[in-house]
Amino acid sequence: MALFFQRLVDGMSYGSVYALIALGLVIVYRGTGHLNFAQGEMALFCAYFVYQFGEWRIPVWPAMFLGMGVGFLLGSATEVALVRPISKRSPFAVFIVTIGLFTFLNWLDGAIWGNQQLPNSGVGSKQLSYPSLFPNDPQDQWLPFGVSIRYERVGILVLVLVLTGLLFLLFNKTKFGLSMRAVASNAESAKLAGIRTNRVLMMSWGLAAAIGALGGVVQAGLNGNVNLGLMFTVFIYGSAAATLGGFDSPGGAVIGGLMIGVIENLASGYLPKWVGQEMKLGVAFVVILAVLLVKPSGLFGTAKVERV
Amino acid sequence: MTLLKATDLTAGYGPVTVLQQLDLEVQEGEFVVMLGANGAGKTTTMRAISGLISRHGHVEFEGVDITKASPDAIVRAGIAQVPQGRGTFPELSVEDNLYTGAFVRSGADSVRDDIARWLEVFPRLAERRHQRAGSLSGGEQQMLAIARALMSRPKLLLCDEPSLGLAPLITQELFAVLEGLHRDEGLSVLLVEQNANLAMHIASRVYLLETGRIVASGSAAELSADDSIRKAYLGF
Repeated sequence: MALFFQRLVDGMSYGSVYALIALGLVIVYRGTGHLNFAQGEMALFCAYFVYQFGEWRIPVWPAMFLGMGVGFLLGSATEVALVRPISKRSPFAVFIVTIGLFTFLNWLDGAIWGNQQLPNSGVGSKQLSYPSLFPNDPQDQWLPFGVSIRYERVGILVLVLVLTGLLFLLFNKTKFGLSMRAVASNAESAKLAGIRTNRVLMMSWGLAAAIGALGGVVQAGLNGNVNLGLMFTVFIYGSAAATLGGFDSPGGAVIGGLMIGVIENLASGYLPKWVGQEMKLGVAFVVILAVLLVKPSGLFGTAKVERV
Repeated sequence: MTLLKATDLTAGYGPVTVLQQLDLEVQEGEFVVMLGANGAGKTTTMRAISGLISRHGHVEFEGVDITKASPDAIVRAGIAQVPQGRGTFPELSVEDNLYTGAFVRSGADSVRDDIARWLEVFPRLAERRHQRAGSLSGGEQQMLAIARALMSRPKLLLCDEPSLGLAPLITQELFAVLEGLHRDEGLSVLLVEQNANLAMHIASRVYLLETGRIVASGSAAELSADDSIRKAYLGF
């Protein structure tokens, strides 16, 4: 039972990262109907920046906010410079462009920071490990019933829940949130109501990338370092989370992310022979497949009904 | 006073030109109806005035050139459009639809007062205040779309075929509300319709539109008096 509880908390903390990536995917999808394939790599780019800020002796929390700022700029610039002009020609082309951006950003990270994991004292890093938002020394844990509940894991979970609450307020209680929901629901009528839809879309992409950036920083912190492959699997789990929760439901994205994290951790913990560490990704695939077969709109998504 | 004045208005979609050098105007306090068959360019006229599609020529509102203005600037200037078909936000509640209509306004109190007012005018919306707009019937959605447009406190209301797909009784009810707003509050309206009978009844002035050109204009009485026009366009 105690071991189960530990796996649950660990699963939820990894799931928090998936939730953040899924949130970014959902915000973009709701606003524009595009699947941003580069969501994970945008987050990685920001995670590298936060490493860099650490090298410059900027404390981790301000560095995280700066990293989210980098994400916001990157996301909004992507919408203005790439997505907007191209989606006028073909929405499908946008998907290809985000795949291109995925490759480009990964190349860019390598060109700037090299292909070794960072921090790495061999390349002159001043930091011993990637900056963590919460205390993560070996003794920073509770040990109820002999299982280990690490402060860092709980802190991450709380951080994501607080962020979700703030986003809920943003979407439902502010004028900007109303304009985002209006644009997602009916872009042309939003224009006729006097909403600057272009600005809303730009801000949505920025917000999505900023949230993703936090995911990248948290993931690198859990991992202890940042490297070029860090976000590949996380992106796949994040997509599974968004599919599970429903691609148009931010709340669903968070719950989906936590569930995927827990399922993944329980599966690899209790079925080490079948799932183990190597087959973990298969869990995401199975979840996506099952959701698409049983409830294509996801747990909390709205099924689109078209009037003909 | 001339509220809206379009001269030489040419607009279309990509390489296709739909409107050919259209001239049209709406005086303050007028209820202008534009009649035309399918494909005559009624919706294109509305979209061109609202700035949703690129246009050439000259559009003036209250003496100010708005030819190059963006859709949101045009709403701010005082033109609101009820678009054809579903002009609502189906995923948003009735109340949020109305709040969205007030997007260009400030002053939370007066916005709340207006919401209360339109819910009184359209009691069926009041009952469904917290329901998603997508769950409303066609007639209720059209009422909501009109209330949404009125929430911006427009000086000119553009209505694109409000009768489309609605039962005759519901259509009559809608027109009665529009007529009331026009008569009691002096709201200026430009309404396009295929449904000639109802629209002619309340029109101060009528335009007949055919393949992107205005082929006749005048008061409802004048147009109905002309036999050839009556037979060709009005169908009675």
